[in-house]
Amino acid sequence: MAQIEVRHLTKIFTSKDAKVDALKDINLEIEQGDIYGIIGMSGAGKSTLVRCLNYLEKPTKGEVLIDGKDLGKMSEKELLKQRKDIAMIFQHFNLLMQKNVVDNVSFPLLIQGVKKKEARKKAKELLGIVGLEEKELAYPAQLSGGQKQRVAIARALASDPRILLCDEATSALDPQTTASILELLKDINMRFGITIVIITHQMSVIRKICSHVAIMSQGEIRERGMVEEIFSHPKTKEARELILKDSDEGHSGNSGRTQDRLMEAKKIRIVFSENSSFEPVIANMVLKTGRAVNILRADTKNVGGIAKGEMILGLPDDKKLQKEIEDYIVERGLEIEEVTGDV
Amino acid sequence: MFSDEVIQMLIQGIGETLYMTLASTLFGYLFGLPMGILLTISDKEGIRPNAILYKIMDVIANIVRSVPFLILLIVLIPFTRMIVGKSYGSTATIVPLVVAAVPYIARMVESSLREVDAGVIEAARSMGASTFTIVTKVLLVEARTSLIVGVTITLGTILGYSAMAGTVGGGGLGDIAIRYGYYRYEAGIMVVTVVLLILLVQIFQTIGMKLSVHLDKRK
Ligand SMILES: Nc1ncnc2c1ncn2[C@@H]1O[C@H](COP(=O)(O)OP(=O)(O)OP(=O)(O)O)[C@@H](O)[C@H]1O
Ligand SMILES: [Mg+2]
Repeated sequence: MAQIEVRHLTKIFTSKDAKVDALKDINLEIEQGDIYGIIGMSGAGKSTLVRCLNYLEKPTKGEVLIDGKDLGKMSEKELLKQRKDIAMIFQHFNLLMQKNVVDNVSFPLLIQGVKKKEARKKAKELLGIVGLEEKELAYPAQLSGGQKQRVAIARALASDPRILLCDEATSALDPQTTASILELLKDINMRFGITIVIITHQMSVIRKICSHVAIMSQGEIRERGMVEEIFSHPKTKEARELILKDSDEGHSGNSGRTQDRLMEAKKIRIVFSENSSFEPVIANMVLKTGRAVNILRADTKNVGGIAKGEMILGLPDDKKLQKEIEDYIVERGLEIEEVTGDV
Repeated sequence: MFSDEVIQMLIQGIGETLYMTLASTLFGYLFGLPMGILLTISDKEGIRPNAILYKIMDVIANIVRSVPFLILLIVLIPFTRMIVGKSYGSTATIVPLVVAAVPYIARMVESSLREVDAGVIEAARSMGASTFTIVTKVLLVEARTSLIVGVTITLGTILGYSAMAGTVGGGGLGDIAIRYGYYRYEAGIMVVTVVLLILLVQIFQTIGMKLSVHLDKRK
């Protein structure tokens, strides 16, 4: 049994003059210990979906089961209690601005009726975990975005949750800070075995820490699976677009930037899986066919801890030559796929 | 400049004005604060939407607020007599002052609480906070500077109303201004009472603003 199970989830927002189908028959299973990414463009319904997972938003139809227990069948009181198991962090941190750091972290414990002194003690420990022990008496307004998110993470951990929901938790942060927050989340996932659900519109976030990903568009899940699998074999247009956008945004590791955007007769994508180095393949191919190809893009990424490479080649006009090159690459055990549009 | 007698009277006037203003504000908040909270949470964007409850309080607040204070003062005479036993003097004036202040305070509180960031409330809800906890530990705490500014403004307004009540036998500085300044043409006394009223408002204002700035941790 999956830890989080979503069945036929539908959410319709109705206002006087409009009806929005924010979620359309969503089905999802998330296992204990997963770092599950949900990605999609703005308005796809990601926030609505994640808010249904702790019933901050009541679904119009369908069920959400946590450890097999249906949240929709719980009384108000049971639901409040259940929420202690499902912590949440947000894009804009949502800290109490009039309370200092240690009081913010103590807050969920005080709600649960823990004694103030005990709550503070635990809060200080948690601030140690997120690396902010020296800021315990500061107020949120005196912290940077990254520090605020660390406080929010410490606060989320205070109630010993088993699930952590992150709604665009790094979207307001710069790339370096994003990286450090993601590192922290990964660390928390490994240390405490907390299941993490991450909502984002940046593929780089998924690539860096998620084990699984679901791609959402217009209230539906278009594609889902292991991150590695989706990156190497994106099936839907949405997935391909997001992966391509990611390559444009930030490069990590040894990446060759797009060299030029010549309109080639044909473009192909070659995907390298672990341990295959692409230099010799291309070099040998050029030697064998005697024709130069245009490398439009080449980069390697760290996908879920495994090195992945991808290269987009612009092939010459000659159909025969194209076939020759493609055959050569396929012979070497690599997969190719035609790319259309601007790279 | 003034005889001891007049000075004595002015001091007593200040005392009565302060008594009426502070007591009315206190009782005003006793009822106005809960009403403001209920207005905020029962609103359709609130944490406990309740259209009927909201509408009822909304209408009450609007009706009371649109009745001119002097008329309220007169209409309430039987009610005042029932509560304090008489219908004149400072203590009696507190009753209509409170009635006028409650809806005013409720609106003030409502607007302060509305300023609280919806995200923070959402965060508290995600932690399993009950409505009561959100009100006491999130709304009132996060909005405290704005609430204090509200108290300051309320004090000034009630002070003005108390002076108005003074003109119909309510005691305090307003009473003195009317009796000496207006009926007996003693402009000097009238000016002094007006200056004293201005000073009192100024003092409340200064203390309130200082306190709210001091308590604001958002900077
Ligand atoms: N309370 C609401 N009332 C009406 N419509 C809503 C409400 N909340 C969300 N919606 C609509 O539901 C759809 C999905 O919204 P949602 O916030 O879940 O998108 P999202 O994927 O999180 O987008 P973003 O990346 O911009 O945060 C949108 O069309 C939005 O306008
Ligand atoms: Mg969103």
